[in-house]
Amino acid sequence: MTAAVAVAGAIPESQPTWLGTNVFTQIRVLTLRALKTVVRDPRIIVFSVIQPLVMLALFSQIFSSIAQTPGFPAGVSYIAYLMPAILVNTAMGSAMQSGVGLVNDMRNGVLARFRSLPIAHGSVLAARSLSDLVRTAFQLLITLVFGILVFGFWPAGGIVGLLGALLLGLLLSWALGWVFLAAGAWLRNAEVMQMVGFLLMFPLMFASSSYVPVANLPAWLQAVAQVNPITHAVNAARALTLATPVGNGVIATLAISAVLAVVGSVLAVRGFRRPL
Amino acid sequence: MNTDVMIEADGVSKTFGSVVALDEVSVSVPRGSVLALLGHNGAGKTTLVNVLTTMLTPDGGSARVAGFDVVRQSRQVRARIGLTGQFASVDEQISGLDNLVLIAELLGASRREARLRADELLHTFGLTAAAKRSARTYSGGMRRRLDLAASLVGRPRVIFLDEPTTGLDPASRRGMWDIVSRLVDDGTTVLLTTQYLDEADHLADSITVLSAGKVVAAGTAAELKAQVGQRTVVTTLASPSDAEPVVAALKRAGMQPTWDPGRGVVITPVTRSTELAVVVRALDEVSVEPAELALTEPTLDDVYLALAQPAVA
Repeated sequence: MTAAVAVAGAIPESQPTWLGTNVFTQIRVLTLRALKTVVRDPRIIVFSVIQPLVMLALFSQIFSSIAQTPGFPAGVSYIAYLMPAILVNTAMGSAMQSGVGLVNDMRNGVLARFRSLPIAHGSVLAARSLSDLVRTAFQLLITLVFGILVFGFWPAGGIVGLLGALLLGLLLSWALGWVFLAAGAWLRNAEVMQMVGFLLMFPLMFASSSYVPVANLPAWLQAVAQVNPITHAVNAARALTLATPVGNGVIATLAISAVLAVVGSVLAVRGFRRPL
Repeated sequence: MNTDVMIEADGVSKTFGSVVALDEVSVSVPRGSVLALLGHNGAGKTTLVNVLTTMLTPDGGSARVAGFDVVRQSRQVRARIGLTGQFASVDEQISGLDNLVLIAELLGASRREARLRADELLHTFGLTAAAKRSARTYSGGMRRRLDLAASLVGRPRVIFLDEPTTGLDPASRRGMWDIVSRLVDDGTTVLLTTQYLDEADHLADSITVLSAGKVVAAGTAAELKAQVGQRTVVTTLASPSDAEPVVAALKRAGMQPTWDPGRGVVITPVTRSTELAVVVRALDEVSVEPAELALTEPTLDDVYLALAQPAVA
C-alpha cells in the first residue's frame, strides 16, 4: 500500500472529482454493463435460444394435424401458421426474464451500489429494459433463421412480412417487459416472480390463437381468447408473415403495448423506489 | 449553518410500523473528523446511515450532508458521499476493474479517466493482481476492499461506513483502520457504525452511543469513560474465605466494594489512583495477601454496558 495520496488525491479538495452525469449517459453505461454480463455468461442466451427451437420442433409435430381441421386457413402449412406464434410467445417469455434479471441484480448487491450514486432510479430500469430488448432481438432472429433453414419456413409475406412480425414481437416484449419489471420491483423474489410469471404465461399462451384457430376452441375459451392480447399480437404477426389482410391487428397490438408499457413503467419506478 | 459541519442530523425520527427505529436523533460531524455510532444490533445505526445517505426518508426531523438536505437535495448529497454498507455492494458477475470503471463512468468520468482512477484504487487496495478476475471469485476481505474502493471512486468528501470490519479477520481489520485513518488525513469526513468498542476507541474523534433508536451518550472516548465513572481496583483473592473480612475492612475504610464470587475478585471503585493505598491498607489490616492487585481503567465496554442496555441496572 502506498501513501495517503492514492486514497483520495494529493490535494484536499472541497469537491469530489465528478458530480454525476446525464440520464442518457447513465442509461448507455448501464445498458452496456448488462449486455456485457450476457456476453460473459453466454449460457443465458444459448438456453434462451434453445427453448423456442424446442417448442418449434415439438409443436410443429404434435399439432400438425390441426392443419387438416375445418377452421384452419386453407393452403397454409402448419409451420407457417406456428412460426409467428412462436415469435410472439418467445417475446413474452423473454419479457419475464427481464423481471427475473432485475430481481437477481437486487440480490447481487450491485443495485444497492447504484442507489448510493447520483443516478436516477428510472435509468437503472430503462437500461435493463433496453439491454433485454437487444437480447430478445437476437433470440428472435436466431429462432427465425432456424425456422427458415431447418423447418423450411418461408412465408408469403417475405422479408417485409417477417420484419414486421419481428418488430411487433419486439414491441410486445418491450411493453410486457415493463409489466414484469414492475412485478420484480414489487415482489423482489426470483422464485415468486417465476411462479407468477408462468401462472400468467400459460393461459396467455394457450388460451389464444397461438396454436389452434380460435374457432376450434370451446366457447368459453373462445371468449377468453378474444380478449387475450396475445391473440391480437399473434393474429397481426401471422397476417404480416402470411400476407393476408391485417385488419386492425397491428393497431390493436400497438395500443395494447402502449398501455402495458405506460402502466408497467409507472408501477416499476414506484416499486423500485422503495428501500431495498 | 456552519459550513464546517459536514454531517448534521437534527431530531431525526423514523418508524417502521410499530417499531421506532430512530427517536429524535441528532448528530453533528465537523469536517475532517470521524464519528462512530456505537450500538448493538437493532439500535438504529443502519437506519441513521440510510437516512443520511438518502436511502430512507425520515418521518421527522431534518438532516444535511455536505451542506445539502438529504430529502430535498438527495442527488446532490449522493454526488458527494461514499457509502460502504454491511454487505458488499459489488457486481459479482464482472471483474473488480469493470466494477470500478462502471462507477466512475456513472459519475461522469470519461472512459480514460475511469480506467486511470480504477487502476489507482485497485493498486491502493492491493487488488491489482485480481483486477481482471470476476468479483465472484474474491475472498470476503477482497470483496470488502473492492466495495470500499467502489465508494471512493469519485473522491467523496464524506464517507459512510456501516460496520466496515464486521466479519473480517484481524489483519484485514487493521488494514481497514489504516485506510480510514488515511482518508481522514486527507480531510475526508467519516461516519462509521460499529459494534466493536476498540474500533470506535481507535478511530473516532467522537462517539455517539445509540440504544433502541435513542442517543444515550455522546462525546469523546475519554468523556464517555469519565461519564461512566470510575476506575476500579480489582483484588484477586487467594481463597474465597478471605472475601468476607476484606469486604468488611474496605467498607470500614469508606469504600464500596463488591465481591464477585464467579471470578474470585473484590471490585472496588476508586476516584483517584491514590485510593489504591486505601485498599492496600485495608488488606493489611485483615492480614490478607491478595493473589493479584490491579488498578483498571474503564473501557468502552463499561460505557456500552452502562448506557446502551437500559435493562442492566
